[in-house]
Amino acid sequence: MDWDQFDLNPKTIAALKKADIKSVKEILNLSGADLQRLMKLSSADIQCLLKTISHTLRRNSMLTALQLYQDKDHSTSQHQKLSLGCSVLDNLLKGGIPLVGITELAGESSAGKTQIGLQLCLCVQYPYKYGGLESGAVYICTEDVFPSKRLQQLIDQQHKLRADVPAEIIQKIRFGNSIFVEQAADLDTFQQCITKRLSLLLARGMARLVVIDSIAALFRCEFGPAESALKARYLQTFAAQLHSLSARFRTPIMCINQVTDAVSESEAAQCSCRIVGSRVTPALGITWSNQLLMRLMVSRTSLPGPSPGAASHGAGSMRTLSVVFAPHLPPSFCYYTVQLEGVKGIK
Amino acid sequence: TEPASSSGLSAGTQSPRTHAAHADPLTRRQNGSDTRERPRACAEAPPAGFAPGARLAAAGFQTAQELLDTGPCGLSKEIGISREEALEALQVVRQECHGDAARPAGGSGATRKYTALELLEEEQSQGFIITFCSALDNILGGGVQLTKITEICGAPGVGKTQLCMQLAVDVQIPECFGGVAGEAVFIDTEGSFMVDRVVDIAAACVQHCHLIAEAQQEEDHQKALETFSLENILSHIYYFRCRDYTELLAQVYLLPEFLSEHSKVRLVVIDGIAFPFRHDFEDLSLRTRLLNGLAQQLIIIANDHRAAVVLTNQMTTRIGQSQSTLVPALGESWGHAATVRLILHWDNSQRLATLYKSPSQKESTIAYHITSHGFRDVQPPAVTHSTEGTELNPRKRPRAEEEKQQ
Repeated sequence: MDWDQFDLNPKTIAALKKADIKSVKEILNLSGADLQRLMKLSSADIQCLLKTISHTLRRNSMLTALQLYQDKDHSTSQHQKLSLGCSVLDNLLKGGIPLVGITELAGESSAGKTQIGLQLCLCVQYPYKYGGLESGAVYICTEDVFPSKRLQQLIDQQHKLRADVPAEIIQKIRFGNSIFVEQAADLDTFQQCITKRLSLLLARGMARLVVIDSIAALFRCEFGPAESALKARYLQTFAAQLHSLSARFRTPIMCINQVTDAVSESEAAQCSCRIVGSRVTPALGITWSNQLLMRLMVSRTSLPGPSPGAASHGAGSMRTLSVVFAPHLPPSFCYYTVQLEGVKGIK
Repeated sequence: TEPASSSGLSAGTQSPRTHAAHADPLTRRQNGSDTRERPRACAEAPPAGFAPGARLAAAGFQTAQELLDTGPCGLSKEIGISREEALEALQVVRQECHGDAARPAGGSGATRKYTALELLEEEQSQGFIITFCSALDNILGGGVQLTKITEICGAPGVGKTQLCMQLAVDVQIPECFGGVAGEAVFIDTEGSFMVDRVVDIAAACVQHCHLIAEAQQEEDHQKALETFSLENILSHIYYFRCRDYTELLAQVYLLPEFLSEHSKVRLVVIDGIAFPFRHDFEDLSLRTRLLNGLAQQLIIIANDHRAAVVLTNQMTTRIGQSQSTLVPALGESWGHAATVRLILHWDNSQRLATLYKSPSQKESTIAYHITSHGFRDVQPPAVTHSTEGTELNPRKRPRAEEEKQQ
């Protein structure tokens, strides 16, 4: 660390070098008394040092809420969101997925989570004007093989799903080229993927969406009941890494999660999934829920109809997408179906 | 020559070498005795043994403020001393001037004696920040109290950030409506501050005040409403985003200075305090020490600047003998940091708030709602115009009447 760049007393700089203090973090981690002892300076000098490095670290970091609202600085704009490709679903989410933070999509199997994930991977590639981010997506598969056939179907039918976008724009986008598929079946591979591959792709601007399908699969088999503390540590570490990537590159992270049965009333109440009407709660517990910005749940709605047991790509049985919690949305839900061209909301 | 008495900079620190190297005709003549020369650098007497004193007078510095404005580099060039000595000199001047300024105000270093009666009167005149949920305000004893640290714990999604956003708007309510007319600092570590939601809450608050003003038709209400607009409210919420605990610690070091510059700030929100501290710590004793330090700094800030500090905390599972319970995160020792602890939780589909720790109110639980307007009571408030005023702050009305009688 080059201490000369800070506006410090040369005496302090010499003391820092002599005490072999290498980073701002080290200084803030030590107590005032420790710093005095290590650097042999008076407490006034130490206060001055702390103020100076705090100033340098936090220079220009204040915004008023009015500035945030008026969108003056594009890099901190909160109004921009990632569209889901369907106006009904976007209305439910007041624009789409927020760009900074981890959004979770939980639900039973075959409720349509992967379909929504794939649709997002295509939506992110559209221009900003049409709700996209003009960039690719990283899709991390942890259990099943990537559904490339279905992706190809969706690509072929994009013009039908996105009737709002002119055909020449859709034709110009090479959808398949910008979706990076990673396989990570265990924690170590996942760790490698996040720290090396993901940060590289995001830093180069080649991707601006990360879909993890599914986060639960990584944790459910590897940890026994006695290792819950270790599991919590891993969860928190991964979540922190994902958070910092999301904040640095303004990239939404969509984590697909499984559900487990809610054993007691209190558990069911905790995740407030009474909207969905079934006694299931997302997996991974409160440790994971604490890391989320927004939680969405999907489920199949049993409706009396001509073909209740139709295949998910076919006649489209009804499903429910509900907002469980979000800082800017009330708990609400809407219905949708899975068609050939993708996921479409029903008004 | 008399020996220089030392407080701060003593003659001994000035090496003869520097003296000779930077000797100019003025100091050479006064050599030896110039350490006792006292130019009027401050309005009061400068500290004893203020060595560059003569040079300062010769260079034309009249007041301490000029010295401080020049800065160390300029000063060292002007009067020909090394940068190090210039910095030391400035430090001495700064300390002296702050000491002099602080003394009449009963500065933080001095010990003052209070009687319990004085403390009681001070507490009673202390304002509260209302939450618009009268049940919650009642169990808190009027609202979120200034000069105290209030901690809000709860599971994700239960409404902690909503309450913080509500408080950041409510702290700005003008005094004639029962508020404290302050500004708010919002430190966000999780990224959950959505400005669109704050706009909704602020608009509803302004609407509410308009309704009261219409019902009561008083001069000062109309006047206050002129400045109490949506844009005004938003411009007085100062937002800081901290990505990890280092940034949070640095931000809290800078808070006293920020609050001195923005003296109308009456609320500091840190949403959430647990998030940056719950990963990245191999050594939990370091975490405890950092959290304790943070708590102490926040207590000092709350007291010195008459501000309420509100922190949000996560919940974690504590595995007991036969069952597991949810407890606030960050450990047992953190539990002592906050003066007032509020726990938000669910009961089936009803949101409840429990006052878990308070020095003056008893433990109780109430129900609340989060509507599109923000934090509210469960029963809709009575729409009759006699209860409109009392609903806003039941404790403000008696005093206003007393003032009118005087």
